Amino acid sequence: MADVAVHEPTVHGDGPDDAHGDAHGTHYSSTGLSNNKLGMWLFLGSECLLFGGLISTYMLYRGRHSQNLGPDQLWDIPFTSSSSFVLLMSSLTMVLAVSAAKRGDDRNTKLWLSITALLGSLFVAGQVYEFTTFYREGLGYTTSLFSSSFYTLTGFHGVHVSVGIIMLMALVGMITKDRIHGDKAEVVELIGLYWHFVDIVWILIFTLVYLIPA
Amino acid sequence: MAIIERPTPALTTPAPVVVTAESSYGVFRRPVHSTGWRSWVFTIDHKKLGIMYGVTAMFFFLLGGVEALLIRAQLAGPDGTILSADKYNQMFTMHATTMIFLFVMPMVAGFANYLLPLQIGARDVAFPRINAFGFWTLLFAGIFLNTSWFLGGAPDGGWFMYAPNSSVPFSPSNGVDFWALGLQIAGLASLTGALNLIVTVINMRAPGMSLMKMPIFTWMALVVQFLLVFAIPVITVALFLLMFQRSFDATFFSVEAGADPLLWQHLFWIFGHPEVYILVLPSFGIVSEVLPVFSRKPLFGYPFVVFSGAAIGFVGWGVWAHHMFASGLGPISVAVFSISTMAIAIPTGVKIINWTLTMWGGKLKFTTAMLFAIGLIIEFTIGGLSGVTHSVAPSDTQQTDTYYIVAHFHYVLFGGAIMGFFAGLYYWWPKIFGKMLDERLGKWNFWLMVIGMNLTFGPMHIVGLQGQPRRMYQHTEARNGEGFFNIGFWNLIASVGAFIIAIGVLLFLINVYKSHRKGTPPAPLDPWDARSLEWMTTNPPKEHNFDQIPTVHALDEFFHRKYEDRGTEDHHDYHQVATAEDVIAEQEANADAHIHMPSPSYWPFVVAFSLPIMGYGILYSTMLIIVGGAIALLGLFGWALEPSTAIESDYDPPPPDGPVSTEVVVSG
Amino acid sequence: MSRAKRFGIAAGTLLLAAGCAEDAPQDTWKPAGENAQDIHDLQWPVFLTAGIVGVLVIVVLISVFIRFRDRGQPIPEQIHGKPALEITLTAIPAVIMAVIAGFTVPAVMALAETDDTECVVNLTGQQWWWEYDYPVSEDGTICGVAPTSAEASPIITSGQLVIPTGTKVLVRGTSRDVIHSFWIPRLNGKKDIVPGRVHYLRLEADEPGIYAGQCTEFCGLSHSNMRMEAVALEPADFQRWLDNELEPYAAPAADTAAAEGETLFIQQCARCHQVNGLVDDKGNDDPADDAIVVSAPDEFVWSGAAPNLTNLMTRNTFAGATWDLLTENCRDDVWNATPAEFGAKYLEGVTAECLNEVDLREWLRDAPAKKPMYADPEELEATDGKFRGMPYLALSENQIDVLLAYLIERK
Repeated sequence: MADVAVHEPTVHGDGPDDAHGDAHGTHYSSTGLSNNKLGMWLFLGSECLLFGGLISTYMLYRGRHSQNLGPDQLWDIPFTSSSSFVLLMSSLTMVLAVSAAKRGDDRNTKLWLSITALLGSLFVAGQVYEFTTFYREGLGYTTSLFSSSFYTLTGFHGVHVSVGIIMLMALVGMITKDRIHGDKAEVVELIGLYWHFVDIVWILIFTLVYLIPA
Repeated sequence: MAIIERPTPALTTPAPVVVTAESSYGVFRRPVHSTGWRSWVFTIDHKKLGIMYGVTAMFFFLLGGVEALLIRAQLAGPDGTILSADKYNQMFTMHATTMIFLFVMPMVAGFANYLLPLQIGARDVAFPRINAFGFWTLLFAGIFLNTSWFLGGAPDGGWFMYAPNSSVPFSPSNGVDFWALGLQIAGLASLTGALNLIVTVINMRAPGMSLMKMPIFTWMALVVQFLLVFAIPVITVALFLLMFQRSFDATFFSVEAGADPLLWQHLFWIFGHPEVYILVLPSFGIVSEVLPVFSRKPLFGYPFVVFSGAAIGFVGWGVWAHHMFASGLGPISVAVFSISTMAIAIPTGVKIINWTLTMWGGKLKFTTAMLFAIGLIIEFTIGGLSGVTHSVAPSDTQQTDTYYIVAHFHYVLFGGAIMGFFAGLYYWWPKIFGKMLDERLGKWNFWLMVIGMNLTFGPMHIVGLQGQPRRMYQHTEARNGEGFFNIGFWNLIASVGAFIIAIGVLLFLINVYKSHRKGTPPAPLDPWDARSLEWMTTNPPKEHNFDQIPTVHALDEFFHRKYEDRGTEDHHDYHQVATAEDVIAEQEANADAHIHMPSPSYWPFVVAFSLPIMGYGILYSTMLIIVGGAIALLGLFGWALEPSTAIESDYDPPPPDGPVSTEVVVSG
Repeated sequence: MSRAKRFGIAAGTLLLAAGCAEDAPQDTWKPAGENAQDIHDLQWPVFLTAGIVGVLVIVVLISVFIRFRDRGQPIPEQIHGKPALEITLTAIPAVIMAVIAGFTVPAVMALAETDDTECVVNLTGQQWWWEYDYPVSEDGTICGVAPTSAEASPIITSGQLVIPTGTKVLVRGTSRDVIHSFWIPRLNGKKDIVPGRVHYLRLEADEPGIYAGQCTEFCGLSHSNMRMEAVALEPADFQRWLDNELEPYAAPAADTAAAEGETLFIQQCARCHQVNGLVDDKGNDDPADDAIVVSAPDEFVWSGAAPNLTNLMTRNTFAGATWDLLTENCRDDVWNATPAEFGAKYLEGVTAECLNEVDLREWLRDAPAKKPMYADPEELEATDGKFRGMPYLALSENQIDVLLAYLIERK
């Protein structure tokens, strides 16, 4: 058995500094993908089915409302389009943050992350405003099947955006205090993946819920 | 995993480290204990977590078993009075919920957690802290769910919880709320566990271990984790809608508001059918490990077994509506789902054929583990064949919701999942605990369980075909018939059988107790002449699993290190060239120099603990939601700020003249 | 006697017992009508095939255990597989399943046909009983039959679904609360009855008789106590049954216990239970002051319905067909009647001698104690104060006596 080769990891970490985090981007991995990234992709795959279920529920129930409180009476397409545009722009700033992080440019990373969070907050504020308006017009959460499933779907998405904002802000704070363990650029990229996913889901929701007539 | 390759401070002269409050986190030091209760509660070691999963699962197995015994006692004679209708409904709901979500799934998680890293030659899982979080979340979910017994009554809508019977007017106690919240929490545990194990298997295989050289249990467990990743969100949506329906007056299932009750059924079974494979595939994997060892042959048609497992995983997504043949779907859907259900019988048949051919021409040794594996093949075959009878949709409209179905899925789940678990327990016990389970008691255990299960579930075929529906708290003389097929007699037999199973399970516990008394000799290093990587280390394995990460050349790597083929091209002739001791000694001699293991952590426990608090909050007080949310947030920040490996200052200073070691810096 | 011989005799006796004894009334292998027969023709070959495959697998396995047990043979050949063999062995189950599928699909389509039915019955499920209503079709017939004398009006009944033999009956089912499932195994497979949806089920019985069934979708507390029976009558007998159902209300003779019972019924029972034609005598001589008593179950019961008791004693069961209105002997007499005698015996209804007073009195004394129902007045918050099922009425024994006297005349 003497010919059994001693295991030499194919890729080593660059040094002590990246030897932390729950998994190690630069450590030996069978696929070459980092554990964190693979984990995030799988998580987003799982999220697809979560939103899939909610969207299906909405599609089933979208027409079940009283005559004067349906999408036709409520939607303010220009407004929602603008807030969608804001969210889309936040994806762009996220990309800029990731590229700054890759360059190791902490200052710009923080800047772009903050702007992304700001745009995200704008979107959420828009959603809160929109919900308030609908509620004033009489569309409560329990008013109809349409309202229950609409608020649940968009609310769920809103919570995802809010969680993203919290993560972005925390990331800014952690970069400032230099408390990130592991590959900083990768952490930014992971949050970026999540952020883009949430954006893409919104494009889907916006199209199916707002643009396609019931 | 986290084998962190970095220069060990040990190589230089270690400076004496003084633990100060400043060098750790706030007022807390990192829990670095390697003994005592803290070494378990805060552990992130996949082996310890695997054992804890197993113990938890076993506890809930006994609880679910007691529920089953109460059900059978109630049904032993006509017009049973042991349970009221209300208690009976709670009992069968919780029996199924407990067995599925709190026994089989955690048991699978336990086996997978313990074995996957060992089988692929890794030192831990990809995300050890998430792993710990998964376990605690599951345990708290189980406890949360069961507190409903004392808080107004357990859920009473059946584990399938069809709407609108699950709505408040029909089930006014908090039981269903506990169920919806408890399963959401348990789902979080499964989801995180699944993500973790997939990444582990995909990314952390030892060098040389290509996918088609992976041990078959690892393969089946991997398929199951993928099923979980995609099935859990679907049930989460359903549970979420149910929770909002009940707690916040949403109208998703209110027919008077125009809701369609079939929405729940679709969501539930889109999750529910893959779930069936989540429950049995791991046991298929276990059996596919055990049979080759005790037949002394490789698994026959390994690629076929792998692909059939994957095929079952895929097709399993396209058969959900066979639970709904009587629910009023159109004939086209019924026909399509009928055909897809028949199709899934084919890969299942492939497995049974391959197991048989594995034994064919072998040298069979009937140890307890082998007996349980064989038990699985036979009992699962019976369950599979009764499954074929109701893939025929018209025939299913006669059988569905009768005891025939109960018979079918108990043959599949008891005969499949549970037989496999016991095979695995007997097989891997020496690996996990370093002690052998008693074979004589083991055989009694096997025979009592197998006879018990056939007496319990066999007669259910008869009473089902005689028209006894499920979920009835009483059966009456008037509808029982007479003579050989009379429903009353066979119900009595089934009840007797249930108690025989209980004795069998009791013997297992006695066996465990017996083999762990003081003075029982340690298990041999390689008691079964095993074939796969997990045996290429000590019993029980060291904290870091392998001294040297093995390089893999073949499926059944361990076998090929022990045996050499001196034959010619088409005539093989195997001779033992090394013992397990030799192989492991070799490993130790070439031990990797720098092994850093991730350190224990408080945070997974803390975050998991916040979940049931929020659960109670939703039911009882907003204040609790806020408290739970605050704990969760605190925990998550603590988690994010904590490096995976403890910094030196978290450890007690080493003894002044302690060994300067190449030993592992483990933390645990 | 040798052991083998004793075993043989025991087995023989069992088989004999199996052959002679009567199977349970819900036996799924005793079809009594076209639909169930179609299912049966499809299922028995599948069961047989499954049985043969099962026995084969087990025999092969046992022979493997014996042949290849460890007898000290050398380490076996390390064969990893033989793809050709694998593919062949995979093809076999595939072919079997394909054949089964070939028979299944046409059967599914055929069983879903509903356009050849000759009689329509509307079925409504609620916790925990079934209501059957026979609508009047445009040509003035009910279930394809024209009433002899009276004018056709819809018939509402419960407990037993009465149908003519040899007639394809279309059951249109829906539910007033949760999902139930309608299942008369000897006539057809089951069909879920879902609130907010109408599902169709065909029934046809070849011979007169009673065919038992049971709700098979878990529907809450008293799911076990939600039964049903289909009663098939020769067309002539069905005509008689129909005519009787349409008879006008016959008030009890004055100053009898039954008359007292009627008053009590109006006070206590008519809030929920309808008796067609029942009038509330205001006590003066002007017949115009008699007001038809209309029950309002929707104000008291969550599902919004209670069984119509107009012809209670023409049916043999009560409380969701869970208890018999007939004493055991009388019941057996009807159930075991030959097809030729059955119609006459069934149409006799419940006579005073045959009335199962024990169960009926228990029921009237305290219904929720007899059949678990959601009837605790303190727990009605979730249902806006409405009961699910019949509540406790605090009737005295004397009141029960007069109610029985009144009810026994309802036929």
